[in-house]
Amino acid sequence: MTRKIAIYGKGGIGKSTTTQNTAAAMAHFHGKKIFIHGCDPKADSTRLILGGKMQETLMDVLREQGAEKVTNDKVIKRGFEDIQCVESGGPEPGVGCAGRGVITAIDLMEQNKAYTEDLDFVFFDVLGDVVCGGFAMPIREGKAQEVYIVASGEMMAVYAANNICKGLVKYAKQSGVRLGGVICNSRKVDREQEFIEEFTASIGTQMIHFVPRDNIVQRAEFNKKTVTEFDETQNQALEYSELGRKIIDNQNFVIPKPLSMDQLESMVVKYGLAE
Amino acid sequence: MACNLSERTRAGIINPIFTCQPAGAQFASIGIKDCIGLVHGGQGCVMFVRLIFSQHFKESFELASSSVHEEGAVFGALKRVEEGVDVLLMRYPHVRVIPIISTCSTEIIGDDIDGVVVKLNEGLLKEKYADREVYLVPIHSPSFVGSMISGYDSAVRDIVKYFATKSDPNGKINLFTGWVNPGDVTALKHLLSEMDIEANLLFEIEEFDSPLMPDGQHVSHGETTVEDLRDTGNAFASIALNRYEGGKAAQYLEDELGIPATIGPTPIGIRNTDAFLQTLKKITGKPIPQALVKERGIAIDALTDLTHMFLAEKKVAIYGNPDLVIGLAQFCIDLEMKPMLLLLGDDNPNYARDPRILKLKEKVDWDMDIITNSDLFEMEDRIKNKGLDLDLILGHSKGRFTAIDYKIPMVRVGFPTYDRAGMYRHPVVGYAGAIWLAEQMANALFTDMEYKGEREWSLNVW
Repeated sequence: MTRKIAIYGKGGIGKSTTTQNTAAAMAHFHGKKIFIHGCDPKADSTRLILGGKMQETLMDVLREQGAEKVTNDKVIKRGFEDIQCVESGGPEPGVGCAGRGVITAIDLMEQNKAYTEDLDFVFFDVLGDVVCGGFAMPIREGKAQEVYIVASGEMMAVYAANNICKGLVKYAKQSGVRLGGVICNSRKVDREQEFIEEFTASIGTQMIHFVPRDNIVQRAEFNKKTVTEFDETQNQALEYSELGRKIIDNQNFVIPKPLSMDQLESMVVKYGLAE
Repeated sequence: MACNLSERTRAGIINPIFTCQPAGAQFASIGIKDCIGLVHGGQGCVMFVRLIFSQHFKESFELASSSVHEEGAVFGALKRVEEGVDVLLMRYPHVRVIPIISTCSTEIIGDDIDGVVVKLNEGLLKEKYADREVYLVPIHSPSFVGSMISGYDSAVRDIVKYFATKSDPNGKINLFTGWVNPGDVTALKHLLSEMDIEANLLFEIEEFDSPLMPDGQHVSHGETTVEDLRDTGNAFASIALNRYEGGKAAQYLEDELGIPATIGPTPIGIRNTDAFLQTLKKITGKPIPQALVKERGIAIDALTDLTHMFLAEKKVAIYGNPDLVIGLAQFCIDLEMKPMLLLLGDDNPNYARDPRILKLKEKVDWDMDIITNSDLFEMEDRIKNKGLDLDLILGHSKGRFTAIDYKIPMVRVGFPTYDRAGMYRHPVVGYAGAIWLAEQMANALFTDMEYKGEREWSLNVW
């Protein structure tokens, strides 16, 4: 059965980079069939897999040619290791409703039966915070069953992760969605791993993997590639492969217990990040 | 000289032909017994829809609103659905089905009505109403997509999808009537009974023509029960009379439960009624009885009396629900009339592939325009400024002002019709419908001849 996974996290934390690198590693090292649905209006969730930015998003086709012209052939592109990619796209900043775009895009893909049964994983890469109902679309009834949050040891990233958990709790009961863990995308801040481990333990989940910071990611990105494609012998490629393996084998799915603001503040103080 | 299909190019809609998707979902909802639809949105989404139902049928129907306000739009309004379901169940002990019908506002803010149904099933219904059998059916009907037609079509599919279960074959057919009147249901039931065929009618709305009984107030509703809905899975065949109103449900049953579907043609006029009876004969193996042959004969006799003398060459504009408009156009052509303008109120891309429209394009040898995503201004503009010369208008009450202003006789047909008495009681389908329609058209023309003093003497010698 296809496992549908939504990736959330603070804006700029590296969700798209982590998703693509992990997906590439899962496909390359573990032979998994993968589909990435980018739900960010900026439409940059699949650039590394496709070797360049998607030219035509689903919303572009919808706007210019109408819903009936949104066919799988037109909007799904295949990239590295035959990973299928679609970008929802959406309005320019400041106009329209990007959240509705996410809803419409996922609805259309389901209508078109794009998430085929032979897939092992579908990743929904979702914009920054869950700012409105639309961005929760991937975790609604019958959609993604697993969520991973990308965070780092930076205070705001942990705040955001905690907030995302609050959103998740709302949907957990009605859609059955569960948190699979927090991916620590290291920013090399002090006692980062310890902090995220304590944070994840206190909300009832796990730090599924600590992805060390490595400049090779940026270099690969500059070449419009994932690390695995760029140079699979690099240690970072193995890190993503390990993260992929942990996701594949993961059994730890919970409804998180987000912290109160006070609890979170004191944890932040404890790790000396408040100053 | 040909039939052209095109989409409105002018910006903006002036005097719309249709209302929006939730209206269609609500029309499906009132067809179910012990059911109150809960429309998740602002109050107007129910109020105005209830109003046109009441105007059309001159009856009262039960529909509820989650009444979303500003704070719901900001914070998410699913709480209002939870409270609404609770209130409906407390207040109406008989309620078994609550379709939860979304609208523009609640679709935009992303309220997850499928999720809230799961939550209510696991929570409220188990905790507070464990002794009751309650079905919550989520229906997505954002108003900015499609029209009341697609709203009805999707709602019927969603309802059937929710309930249809396969158990023992029931020996019946499913008959999806589409958006019709009680008079149509009566006519269809008559044809079925003459053919000795048992049908599960979706929806059984004959009772929309409700009695006023000695025991007091009556609230109108359809008679299709939860059991009937479940039983749709046990039919040996489905017929959807209207391609765009019920077609999706019939198709769903064929695709998912292997119940073969026949979709259309809408049995308006002799030819289409013949086709309907032939379909019935084919799928049941039962012969068409002599009684129906005679009825057909009576209808043809009635039409013959009118066609050549009065109806032939009359130029008609028709607007409204697509299956109705197409069916009426086909019938008019059989009556030697000339449909000049067909107006459809939405932009369904399937119209361009509709075999009936393709056939019109192939056959018609005069200038006939079919405009999709159209409005009533289109008709008025053409009459006023573009030399469209009409003898007759066929459509619902929203076009009455054009008929009045330009002194064009009009026969009220379709939904909503509120400016003539008892129209819902008369069928447009079947042989009975053919007679009724042709005679209505003829009488409208006769009145017009007298009013304008044009060849009215000819009626003395007819």
